[in-house]
Amino acid sequence: MKRLSLIFCLVALSLLVLGCAGPAWEGWSGFTEYDGILYFGTMDGRVLAISPEARSQGLPFPSENEWAFTVPSMGTPGAMCGPACVPASTRASIYATPVVAGDLVCVCIYAGEKGKLVAMDRLAPGYTEGVPLRSKGEWTYPSGVKSIGAIVGTPVLVEGTLYVGSSDGKLYALDAAYGEKKWEFDTGGKVWTSPAVEDSAVYVSNYERKLFAVSITGNSLLWEIELPASIASSPLISEDTIFFGTFDNHFYAVDSSNGSEKWTFEGGNWFWSTPVVKDGVVYAACLDHQIYALDASTGDKLWQFATDAPIASAPALSDNLLVAASESGVIYILESDSGNLVRAVSIGYPVMAPLYAEENMVFVHAKNRCVYAVDLQSGDKVWEFPYSDIK
Amino acid sequence: MAELWNTIILEPVLNSLIALCTMLGGSFGLAIIVLTVVVRLALFPLTVRQTQSTKAMQTLQPRVQELQKKYAKNQQKLQQEMMKLYKEAGINPLGCLWPMLIQLPIWIALYQSIMQALAATPENLLNLSQHLYSWAAVGQAVPLNEHFLWLQLSRPDPNLILAILVGGTMWVQQKMVTPPATDPRQQSMTSMTTMMMPLMFGFFTLSFPSGLALYWVVSNVIGIIIQYFVSGGWGYLRAPSAPRVAPTQAPPPAQAQKPVPVHKISPNERPSKTVQKAAEESKTLKKASEEKKRGLFGR
Repeated sequence: MKRLSLIFCLVALSLLVLGCAGPAWEGWSGFTEYDGILYFGTMDGRVLAISPEARSQGLPFPSENEWAFTVPSMGTPGAMCGPACVPASTRASIYATPVVAGDLVCVCIYAGEKGKLVAMDRLAPGYTEGVPLRSKGEWTYPSGVKSIGAIVGTPVLVEGTLYVGSSDGKLYALDAAYGEKKWEFDTGGKVWTSPAVEDSAVYVSNYERKLFAVSITGNSLLWEIELPASIASSPLISEDTIFFGTFDNHFYAVDSSNGSEKWTFEGGNWFWSTPVVKDGVVYAACLDHQIYALDASTGDKLWQFATDAPIASAPALSDNLLVAASESGVIYILESDSGNLVRAVSIGYPVMAPLYAEENMVFVHAKNRCVYAVDLQSGDKVWEFPYSDIK
Repeated sequence: MAELWNTIILEPVLNSLIALCTMLGGSFGLAIIVLTVVVRLALFPLTVRQTQSTKAMQTLQPRVQELQKKYAKNQQKLQQEMMKLYKEAGINPLGCLWPMLIQLPIWIALYQSIMQALAATPENLLNLSQHLYSWAAVGQAVPLNEHFLWLQLSRPDPNLILAILVGGTMWVQQKMVTPPATDPRQQSMTSMTTMMMPLMFGFFTLSFPSGLALYWVVSNVIGIIIQYFVSGGWGYLRAPSAPRVAPTQAPPPAQAQKPVPVHKISPNERPSKTVQKAAEESKTLKKASEEKKRGLFGR
């Protein structure tokens, strides 16, 4: 009997371990560039500001205008926390890409069920003990110990207003300068994607298969549509058309004025990442290892390119080049008009974060807690910045 | 190896669970309950066999203990005698282990499926994409509706209700199959083991997604029902916690109904030692053999 109990205990423990099995995921946040500085967040709740110029010169971190700031955990220290696979922890993580608003950089916090927006001075955060320095214009939303639902999607800044969706099902519109709420809209389902804003409407999807168009003043719901499956990617809007992928492997183009479907395209898996559009062509990366170039007006496939692994990271465009990164850590540089491979660069670590391309350089936030700068012309890794040891 | 595991075991269970969710009107809680019941029913013959083997082994325990005392200094002889005893009773000592080992992969797959399907974090959700079939019923269900009764299935239950249910049902199940020890040292060990698992899982429930705890509760309840019918009652749950061989003490009523394998004979009735031993041995072995042969609900 004792042996049986021992076996049972071992089985129970192995079950718990197996259930949580899986790598620790890092590197979800993309980059925002402002005034020569790249801002990004990390899964251990840090916000970093790095200078590509200083990194390329190999200067010690931090050099001028560079900094690292740790967002304090939310909730009572020592409160019950779950294993790594369960988001019961109050530890702050950052999935969303930061947004620069004037002198502030705004980051969104994901801490189990809780979330918060934190705005800090973009040159030198003045937070002390997790409290914003009002004299520098810093703020948190909600203020103090209050919180909203956890935030996954990147906020959108339009004319001084931040639009952000939350796990509590609400779309928030906040004054970017003071962090005050202008309005909120309840979608009735978890929002893990970014909203899209154009002209007088904000478009937001939830995990209850719905896409909403809300007036930019928050006064009214313009329209809503229900789809066969929930929306996986953040919607992208271009020339009166909203593009997004769903969990039933479809890619949609929807009329932004009334929500009517223009066309759909079926892939082999989810279109998880936000697509990019240029010159009437929409580029959609898929978890079925393919990159599709589709005619934005008809949905006709112009070309497709097969990669070695699923693509969860949003691709980036630079002149006539399309750059995409696979989960196996290979950066594909393609001709955007033909889909021909210019070169492939392996960094050796999975990439989930959106890519950021500027001039001839693409910046990659990889899962090994490292930022890479890859030259698009030569394919060389110009510099790399491992940040795991930076306090 | 991991690929093989995913393809053969994990993915069929995971996709069935998600498709079931669509069929049950999008209720993932209901899907967990139904799939747990289906899996337990499919494994029913194995569970019955395991329960019967365990019970037969327990029936022989007094005899085994006697042998252990008798041949304490001669391990080889002890092994021989024990094998002889098992052979006479027609019991395979590993008989209660192999049904458990066969069931193990299915339990693990069910457990992993629930954890993966709940996709409590963005990385879990992304990871899920690599394990799904291209069935319409699957794609349309993801991400799953995590609300069930008062629970948010991807989050721990904020109340203690589920923790108490998990711990309570597990304790009942363990208590039903754990015979009371005669030795005081063993007794404390047994009671500790019986309490440890329920407490441990009750504690886990406070940190793990409530969907998983729901699975534990349903699985335990089914286990209790099977145990009840296969063993023909509440087993050792109704037996006193620490029975002692007391010559002047009459057997308790519970034992009169369902004798546990501790033999108590009052001094007045006690026959000669040799006769008593022979009768006891014969009775024990007979009982063990009957246990093995007896079918479901045979009591």
